[in-house]
Amino acid sequence: MRVDEASLVRLMAMSQQGDRQAYAALLAECQRWLRRYYSRRIAPAQLDDLVQETLMALHNKRATWDSSRPFLPWLAAIARYRWVDHLRRLYRADECELVTDFAGQDEEPAIAARISLDRLLGILPDAQARAIALVKIEGLSIAEAAEATGQSQSLVKVNIHRGLKKLAHTVEKA
Amino acid sequence: MTPKTDALIANLVGDLQPVKPLRFARGVGLAVAGGALTTLAVVALFGMRADLLAGRFDPVHLISTGLFLVLGMAAAVTVIVMSRPQVGNDHGGWIWAAAMVALLPLAAIIVGLGGGSDILSRESIAHGVECLVIGGGSSLLVLAILAVWLRKGAPTAPDRAGLLSGVAAGSLGIFAFSLHCADNDIVHIGLWHSGVVLLMAGLGRMIVPPLVRW
Repeated sequence: MRVDEASLVRLMAMSQQGDRQAYAALLAECQRWLRRYYSRRIAPAQLDDLVQETLMALHNKRATWDSSRPFLPWLAAIARYRWVDHLRRLYRADECELVTDFAGQDEEPAIAARISLDRLLGILPDAQARAIALVKIEGLSIAEAAEATGQSQSLVKVNIHRGLKKLAHTVEKA
Repeated sequence: MTPKTDALIANLVGDLQPVKPLRFARGVGLAVAGGALTTLAVVALFGMRADLLAGRFDPVHLISTGLFLVLGMAAAVTVIVMSRPQVGNDHGGWIWAAAMVALLPLAAIIVGLGGGSDILSRESIAHGVECLVIGGGSSLLVLAILAVWLRKGAPTAPDRAGLLSGVAAGSLGIFAFSLHCADNDIVHIGLWHSGVVLLMAGLGRMIVPPLVRW
């Protein structure tokens, strides 16, 4: 059963006053909400880590919620920020975990995640979307992506950087 | 549900302490107090313009100083709003104030190119640098207040929040110093006073984001 917005507002207001029972109920509900939110945005193997990170962020920043305002848009903004940060870290770490994460698992969440990524990449110029798709999703090295796209290696890096920046800006603004 | 997440939730619940919510009015109040304190300090240290003391007002000075004040407040309010995450928040109102202030350097360039002012003389540059340095220094209190507020908050666009902190600080800083600076020349105001806003915007964009990321 999903808890409605009014109940979440009440639970959060009580949590800000130090009510642990209300807070436990709130975090359990937030966990469910975050799982649904992230399941179409990241690889399934990374879901737990990102949900936990977001719960910690919620805990650390709980004073930034104003009881006169709705709760879910606040939680959604925090979730989106952690997600963007997750994308940035993926880029900086220069790892290709997504390709291995997708392999050998239940296909449905992976397909859903891919559809969501494709929709996001659709807002980018072709060169940026292709560079991100090849390196961050397909798992090619920068050199291989450069060869596949006909772009120089530095241009591939620039396109990934600019593309992720634009994605981050887009989701921050939405 | 996973055991790890459940354990984390148990830890967070055990760690729960009452918190005082970050109030918009308190944030704005602090920024206004910072601006007011800066203005008092500038007037106390450097003195107020003689014409203001005598109750006479120059239109160019009045308009430009008012524009800096409006931009400073618009940017400061936006920073306070940005400190509290919320999907659907509008952070764009300050742009109109910035566009109006941008008319000052534009007017300065037009008048300067038309030979209406001696912008390259030694005295003119020395006076401009003085405004830039003291105006920049006068911005630091507001910049610090906004950075501390953002650190307590949860800005989801730290780069923009840093830039806007600088715009707010620079605008309020040069507003304060404009009460001392006796120059009514649009070229001086448009180039050097607007320069303080640009300088502080760059500084804010550079130093604030690493401090407020979470």
